[in-house]
Amino acid sequence: MAKVLFINPLVREEDVPRHIPYGIGLLASIAINAGHQVQIYDANAWRLGDHVLRQVLEADDWDVVATGGITTAYGYIKKICQFADEYAPDALLVAGGGFLTAMPREIMTFLPQVNIGVVGEAFETFNEILAQIDANLLEPAKIAGVIYRTPDGGLELTPPRKLLHDLDTLPYPAYDLLPLEEVYFKNSQALYSEEGMMARQRIDVNGSYGCSLVCKFCFHLGITGDMKYYENDEGETDVVFDAPGSYTRSIRYHSPRYIVDMVKYLHERYAIDFIGFLDENLMTMHRATRGTWLTEICNLWISEGLQPKCVREGVEHDETCKGVHWGGTSHATLCDPEILKHMRQAGCSHLVYGYESFSTQILRRLGKASTPKTNFRSFYWTMESGIRPIPNQIIGFPTEDFDSLRDNMKAWDKLGIIVKPFFATPYPGSAWFHVYKDRILEQYDGDLERYLLELGDATNITAVISENFNSVELYGLRELMVRLDYARLAEYEKQWNLQHPDANAIKKADEAELLRRITKPVVIAA
Amino acid sequence: MDVLKGNFKTRQPVVADESKEDLNSQFEREALKRLGGSIAFVSKKKFLFGMNADADSAAAETNRTDAVKSEL
Repeated sequence: MAKVLFINPLVREEDVPRHIPYGIGLLASIAINAGHQVQIYDANAWRLGDHVLRQVLEADDWDVVATGGITTAYGYIKKICQFADEYAPDALLVAGGGFLTAMPREIMTFLPQVNIGVVGEAFETFNEILAQIDANLLEPAKIAGVIYRTPDGGLELTPPRKLLHDLDTLPYPAYDLLPLEEVYFKNSQALYSEEGMMARQRIDVNGSYGCSLVCKFCFHLGITGDMKYYENDEGETDVVFDAPGSYTRSIRYHSPRYIVDMVKYLHERYAIDFIGFLDENLMTMHRATRGTWLTEICNLWISEGLQPKCVREGVEHDETCKGVHWGGTSHATLCDPEILKHMRQAGCSHLVYGYESFSTQILRRLGKASTPKTNFRSFYWTMESGIRPIPNQIIGFPTEDFDSLRDNMKAWDKLGIIVKPFFATPYPGSAWFHVYKDRILEQYDGDLERYLLELGDATNITAVISENFNSVELYGLRELMVRLDYARLAEYEKQWNLQHPDANAIKKADEAELLRRITKPVVIAA
Repeated sequence: MDVLKGNFKTRQPVVADESKEDLNSQFEREALKRLGGSIAFVSKKKFLFGMNADADSAAAETNRTDAVKSEL
C-alpha cells in the first residue's frame, strides 16, 4: 500500500477558513478504500507557519505528496512544491485540480518539482497512480489524464480521462480527516441569511458537477465536458476550454437519495444544522431532469426528518430550532416560483444568484442566458418564497459603459440591493482568458506566473478586460456606484467623453472575440 | 493539537503550537478590517528600524530606514 500525504493549500488568507477541501476529502476516501495509508494536512484550515509544513513533510517516508486546488491557491501550492522537494525529496509529487488543469504545460514549467500533474477529474486517475506506486512500477504514460516529464526533459500529456459516469459510486468525503471541530465548525456562520448567521455546525456538500450555461468568466475545472485536447502550433498535445465557437458540456449529478442520505449521516454524526451546497448551479440540474431533481431532494429532506422545525411550524427561526437549513446557487432564468417555495419548505434559507449586471447589452454578450427582466423576476419570486436572494454583481465587463453602470445602480436602488461588486476577472480556463490572454500578459510584462500569483477572489482588480475603463477608473467607479452617486458619475462621464470621442467598446469586444474564435476542428481524443 | 489526520500513525509526530498568531499579527489583521479614516497603522512586517532588524532583513530595510531617518 502507498503512503500518501494530501496537503490542502492556503487560500483566501484575508478570511477565516470556511470551506472544507471537498475534492481532497473525496480523494482521501477513495485512496483509503483502495487500502492505502493516508494523512491530510489542511494548511488552509490550520493557518500555521512554514515550520509546521516542514514537520508534516518530514513526519514519515511518504510515497506520494499530493496537492492542488483552484488557481487562486497557486501561491501556496508553489510553496508546498518547493518544500516537498526539499523536505520529502523521495516522495512522488503529484498536483492536480483547476489550477493545473487550466494550463498543464505552463504549470509544469512553473513548478519543476511536480512529477505528475493530474489533468481534469482525479477520482480514477489518482488511484491508478497509487496502484502503480504500490506495484513499484510507475509508468505514467499508461495512465489517462496526466501530464508527466519525459526522460529528455519534455512534457507529455496522456489521453484524456473519461468522466466518472455514476457519481453515486463515490464514497463520502473523508470528513473525519478534516479539522471540523477544531476549525470549520467554529467558522460555521454564513452571512447570507438569518439562519446562516446563526449556524453552529455548518458543512459543505456537493450534489452536482458543472453547469449547462456558458458564462464567459467561468471555468469548470475540466470536469464538466468543457475540456478538449488538441494539437497546438508547436505540434504538442494541449488542452483548450471554453472559447468563442467552441463550448461543450456534460453535466452530472448525484441522485437525490445519495445527497439526502449523506446530509442525514452528517446530521446524525456531527449534529450539522446547516448545509452549504457547493454546486455551481443547482437549477441547471433541476432543469436537466425536467424539474424533478430539486423536487425529489426537497421531498426526501422533509420525509427523512431534516426539515427545520421553524419552517414546519411556521415560526421565526431561533436558537432552539431543530433540523437542517441549507443554501446554494440558483439561476435567474431557470428558477420558478413553485420550486422556490418547495425549497423554502425544505429549509432553504438563501440562494446565490449571479445576476452579474442589469444591463441588457452586457448580459446579451455574457452567455448566461439571462436578461434584466429574468433578474428582476427571479428576485421577486425568491423573496416571495421566503428565501434570501444573494445578488452577486460584477463590473468591468469588456463592453461596460456609463449606461450599464447606471442600469445597475437603478436596479440596486429599486430592489434594495446592497452590494460591492466583483471586478470582471479573466481566470485561466475561462473564455475571457482565451480571448484576452495577450492583453493580460501585456499588463504583467509577459509574466503569466505573476498574474497567477496575484489572482484572488475578484474583489480587487488584477487584469483589466474592459474596453472603456482602466483599473483606476474601475476602482473609482465602484465607489461611486456603491454610494449611488449619480451626480459625480455624470460629471466624470462628461470628462471621459471628451477624452474618448471615438470610443466603441462593443465593436472592439466583438472584434476581440472574432479574432480568438476557434474555427479549426478541435481533436477530442477520449 | 493533531494537525495531521489519517488512517495510520506517522513515524514522527508534528508539533504545532496552539498560539498560531502573534499579537502583532493579530493587531494588524484586526486593524486592517477597519482601515479608513483614523484607523491607520504601521505594518511591522513591512517596516523595520535598522537597529532592530535581523541580519536577513537588515539589508533590504536599510535604504528605507535611512530614507526615513534623513527626514528627521
